[in-house]
Amino acid sequence: MSSLQLLQTSVGRKLLTGITGILLTLFLVAHLAGNLTLFAPDGGVAFNLYADFLHNLGPILIIFEIVLIVLFLLHAYIGISIYRGRKKARPENYTYYKSQGGPSKQDFASKTMIYTGLVILLFVVLHVLHFKYNFFIPHETTTLEGREMIDLAYHVEKAFLNPWITIAYSVVMVLIGLHLKHGVWSAFISLGAGNPKLTALLYTIGIIVAILLAAGFLIIPIYIFLNGGL
Amino acid sequence: MAVKEKKTFKWDSQVPTGPLAEKWSSHKNNIKLVNPNNKRKFNVIVVGTGLAGASAAASLAELGYNVKAFCIQDSARRAHSIAAQGGINAAKNYQNDGDSVYRLFYDTIKGGDYRSREANVYRLAEVSNNIIDQCVAQGVPFAREYGGALANRSFGGAQLSRTFYARGQTGQQLLLGAYSALMKEVHSGKVEMFAREEMLDLVVVDGRARGIITRNLVSGEIKRHAADAVLLCTGGYGNVFYLSTNAKNSNATAAWRCYKRGAIFGNPSFTQIHPTCIPVSGEYQSKLTLMSESLRNDGRVWVPKAVGDKRHPNDIPEDERDYYLERIYPSFGNLVPRDVASRNAKNVCDEGRGVGESGLAVYLDFRDAIKRDGENTIREKYGNLFDMYEKITGENPYEVPMRIFPAVHYTMGGLWVDYNLMSNVPGLFVLGEANFSDHGANRLGASALMQGLADGYFVIPYTLGHYIASNNFEKVDENHQAFKDTEHESVSRIDKLLKIKGKKTILDFHRQLGKIMWDKVGMARNEKGLKEAIKEIQELRAEFWENVFVPGEQSTYNKYLEYANRVADFMELGELMARDALERNESCGGHFREESQTPEGEAKRDDENFCHVAAWEFKGDDKAPELHIEQLEFENVKLTQRSYK
Amino acid sequence: MSTHENMTLHLKIWRQNGPDSKGHFEDHTMDEVNPHMSFLEMLDLLNERLMQNGKQPIEFDHDCREGICGSCNLVINGIPHGPEMRTAACQLHMRKFNDGETVTIEPWRAKAFPIIKDLVVDRDAFDRIQAAGGFVSTRTGSMVDANAIPISKEAADKSMDYAVCIGCGACVAACPNSSASLFTGAKIAQFAKLPQGAPERKRRVVAMVEQMEKEGFGDCSNYAECEAVCPVGISISAIAEMRKEYVKALF
Repeated sequence: MSSLQLLQTSVGRKLLTGITGILLTLFLVAHLAGNLTLFAPDGGVAFNLYADFLHNLGPILIIFEIVLIVLFLLHAYIGISIYRGRKKARPENYTYYKSQGGPSKQDFASKTMIYTGLVILLFVVLHVLHFKYNFFIPHETTTLEGREMIDLAYHVEKAFLNPWITIAYSVVMVLIGLHLKHGVWSAFISLGAGNPKLTALLYTIGIIVAILLAAGFLIIPIYIFLNGGL
Repeated sequence: MAVKEKKTFKWDSQVPTGPLAEKWSSHKNNIKLVNPNNKRKFNVIVVGTGLAGASAAASLAELGYNVKAFCIQDSARRAHSIAAQGGINAAKNYQNDGDSVYRLFYDTIKGGDYRSREANVYRLAEVSNNIIDQCVAQGVPFAREYGGALANRSFGGAQLSRTFYARGQTGQQLLLGAYSALMKEVHSGKVEMFAREEMLDLVVVDGRARGIITRNLVSGEIKRHAADAVLLCTGGYGNVFYLSTNAKNSNATAAWRCYKRGAIFGNPSFTQIHPTCIPVSGEYQSKLTLMSESLRNDGRVWVPKAVGDKRHPNDIPEDERDYYLERIYPSFGNLVPRDVASRNAKNVCDEGRGVGESGLAVYLDFRDAIKRDGENTIREKYGNLFDMYEKITGENPYEVPMRIFPAVHYTMGGLWVDYNLMSNVPGLFVLGEANFSDHGANRLGASALMQGLADGYFVIPYTLGHYIASNNFEKVDENHQAFKDTEHESVSRIDKLLKIKGKKTILDFHRQLGKIMWDKVGMARNEKGLKEAIKEIQELRAEFWENVFVPGEQSTYNKYLEYANRVADFMELGELMARDALERNESCGGHFREESQTPEGEAKRDDENFCHVAAWEFKGDDKAPELHIEQLEFENVKLTQRSYK
Repeated sequence: MSTHENMTLHLKIWRQNGPDSKGHFEDHTMDEVNPHMSFLEMLDLLNERLMQNGKQPIEFDHDCREGICGSCNLVINGIPHGPEMRTAACQLHMRKFNDGETVTIEPWRAKAFPIIKDLVVDRDAFDRIQAAGGFVSTRTGSMVDANAIPISKEAADKSMDYAVCIGCGACVAACPNSSASLFTGAKIAQFAKLPQGAPERKRRVVAMVEQMEKEGFGDCSNYAECEAVCPVGISISAIAEMRKEYVKALF
C-alpha cells in the first residue's frame, strides 16, 4: 500500500486526527497570544496593530488560512466518520453498559467529543463571520501609525458588552476546553507516545493545556463584560 | 483378567541400536526422506493445537505437507498448554552448574521412577536445547538477566537451574509462539484450520489410520476427513477425576476412540497428583487451580504438630509447627518431586493434622522468605500467583500462609507409541501428553512443555517422513466404506445419547465417577479399593446409558452434548485405569500401592516384576482388555530406589 | 459484600438461538448461591437446575477457568468480565455480589464477533488478525543459539507486558467504538520490543491493521476503556506502540 492509502486505515485516520488536532491546538495558542495583547494598557492599539500586521501578510495569510481550513475540515471530517462508524461496528447495542473506571478515560469530555466538536465547527463559522467579515456589526476603523485600519479592539469590546454574546462565547470556550481535555491526551496516544509510565503524565498535561487555553480565552469576554469595557 | 506372562511383546518399539547418545542422530541418518516436491502430495491430520499439535502442524506445513489442524476450542491458541505456569527445562548449562544432556536425561528417568524408555528420554533431553533456541527465534519473551542472557531457575525435584520461564505464564508464551507459527502457515495456505471441531472417531483402512470423523461444534455437522497420517495431540485425561487442574474441555475422547480402534493404551493408571493446588472449597467446585510449584522454592510447607489444632496459622508458634518435608527429606526439603510431596500432604491430613475448614489442606508459608528477601522480591517472583490465590480464596498470602492440597494434574499414561511416536496402528502418531512415552511413572516439573514441543518441532518432522517414505499410499477418499461405517457409528452414538432423556444430569455422573476415582484410584491405591472401583464404575456406566439427561439436539451448538460424549468415554477409561493400577502391584512414581511400601511408608518399587510398560488392548465392549507387556531395558542407568532424604 | 451467607440473585441473561435470530433477556432467580463460588460455577448450577426441569441450559464459552485461556466472554452488569478489575469472568467470585442483587449477563457485542448462541460469540476475527502478521517468519530448525541474541531485561519485560494478552476480546466488547486496537496493538508491540521482530516490522503492522479493518472493527478513540477491562491489564500504550510502528511503515 502507498503511504496515501495507509493514511486511510483506522490507524492512519487516527494519525491524521492527532496531527491536525495538535496543529489546531498550536493555532489556538498563537490566537490566544494575539488576543491577550488586548490587555496592553494602550486602549487596544497593540491589538489593532497586531491584527493589521496579519491582514497585511498578503499571500502568506491566504496560504495560512487555506492550511487552517484544510486542517480544520479534515479533523472534523474524520471525527464525524469515526463517530458514524460506531453503529456499523456494533449494530446491536448493549442493554446495560457501564464503564469500568480505573484507567478508563471515558468521561463527559471524551464521550461528548462529537458534540463539542460540532458546536466548535458551528462556532468557528460564526466567529469568522463575526470578527473577520464583520457580518453582524458595522465596520469601524481607526488610524494608527498613519494608516487606516479596522478597529478590531472596538469590535471586540462592543461584542462582549452584549450579555448574550458573552454568555454564548463563554459556553463555547468551556466546550473547547472539554474537547481539548480528551483531545490533547488522545493526540499523544494517536501519535505513538508509547511509554506506559507516561500515560498518566500525558493525560495531566492534556488537562492543563485545556484549562489554560479555555481560561485564557474566557478572561477577555468576562473581563470586558464585568469591567464595562476594556 | 490377563496374567503377567514373560512372553515377547507383540510390537516393536523401534529403538535404534548403538550407544544411547548416538541413537537419535544415527536414527535421523538412517531413516527415509520424502522428496521436497512429493511432500505436497501428502495430507496430514493434526488433532489438537496445544504445544505438541501446534508445533507439529506448523513444522510439517513448513516442510511442505498439507496439514489439516483441528481443535475443540474457538481458537487454536486456547489449548490447555496455555495454562502451564512454571517453565520449560533444557540442558543448556547456561548457569555453569554442571548440567548436561546426560544429567537431564538421568533426572527425567529417575524422576519417572524407571518406568520410561531410556532412548526416548535421552532424545528428549537432547532436543531440549533446540526448543529454547527455536522459541527464542519466534520471539517468546523468556525472562532475562540484566546482561541480556536468558534467566533460569531451579524447579521441583531438580538440583540444577535449568528451567527457562516467562513470568508465571511460560505455557502461554510457548503456546503463543507455536500458535503464531501455526497461524503463519494458515496464512500461507499450507494449514487448513478447523476450530470448534471435535474428533469423534478414527478411520482405519486396511489396518492403517487414514482419517477421522469430526463434529462441528457450532453446526453439529458430522464430517469425514481423509489423510495419509493422523497425529493425535489431544492432551491428557486428568478430567476422569472430575476435579482436576485440566481445562473443562480437556478430554480423552479422541485417544479413547483410537484405543477402541486398536491402538494400545500404555500405563493408563499413571496419574500425576500435583502438590500445590488451591484446596476444594465446596460441592459446587468445578475445577481445581494449580499454582506453579516454583512456589516451593521459597515457600515452606507445614502443618501444626498437634492433631486438630484449629488456631489461626499466624498464632501457631514456630516450635508447634511441623515442616514435615524438611523433617523427612532433609536434603531435598520442600523441593521433593511432586508425587512425594503430594503423598506426604495426604499422610498428614490422614493423621488429622490438615488445616482449613475441610481439614484437607496444608500450609505453604512465605513468611520466612518475605523476611529474608523482602516483599518486593517475592512479589516480583510470584506476584501473579499470589494475586490469583487471593482472587480465588479471598485471602492475602503475603499475610496469611497459603493453603494447598494435591490435585490431579497430568497423566503420564497414554496411547502407546514406538520410538517414532507411532502407535501400533500404522499411520496413527501420538504426541505430547496424549502418549505414554517419556515420563514413566512420574513427570518432573517443567518437563511437559519440553516434551510437547520436542515431539512437535523436532521428532515428528523426521519420523513422519520416514513412515510416508516407507509405505505406498493407495488413494483413499472420504467416500470409502470405512468412512461411511465409522461416521454411522458416531451418529448413532449421538442419537442414542440424545434419546435417553433420563433424570440425572451429566455433571452428576461425572462427579460420581470422579469421587470413585479420587477415593479408590487416587493418591493411594489398594486391591480392595481398585476392585470396588471397577465394579462401581461399571454400574455407574450402565446407569448413565439408562438415565442421563442430554439436552437439546444434534444440529446446533450444544455444549452438554459434547460433554455427555466425553463423560461416556471417561467412564470406560476410568475402569481401564483401575484395572491397570490393580495389575501393577508395586509402588512407583505417582502410582502408590499400599501393599507395596517400605516400613517407613515410602513407595517400594518392584523391578523384578514390574519393570515394564503395561499396554492394554481393547477386545470388545463386553470383554476384558488384554494386557501386553513391553519390558524396559536399562543399559545406561542403574536402577536405584529413589531417595530424596 | 457477603462472605459467608448464601445469597439470592436475580439474573437477566441474554438468550439468542443463532446469529440471525432475535435475542431477548430471560429472568432467573438463583437462590442458595455460595459466595465462594466462581461466577461460572453459579452458571453451572443454574444450568443444572434448568436441566433437572428438562429445560434448555444456557450456552456460554469457558475452558481453563483460571483466567488464562481467554474463552469466557460475559458482559456482567454492563462491564466485560464484570465488576472486578484485572479479572476474567471465570476468576470472578460471587463474594463480589450482594444478596438480592440483579445481575445482567450479555454476550460480547460487535459486528466482528457474531453471536453463535446465547452468550457464545465467534472470535475468529482475532485469529485472522494474528495470521495476517502476528509472527516471526522463522522456520523450525533455522535458529541460532538462544543466548546469541542478547535482549535486555527491560526489553524482554516490556515485550512480556504486551505478550500476556489472553485474546478474550473484552477490549472490543468494552470499546464504545468496538475497536480491536488493544488486541492488535498488543501483538504488534510485543514483537516491536524484541530484535526478533525487527526484520518484518513494517510488513507486520500494515498487514495486521489492514486485516483489523477488514473484519469490521471500529476506530479507536483512545477511551482506554479497553485497558480498564483487560483481565491482564494491558496498557493502552500498546495502541500507541502500534501507531508508532505504523508511522515507521509510512516511510
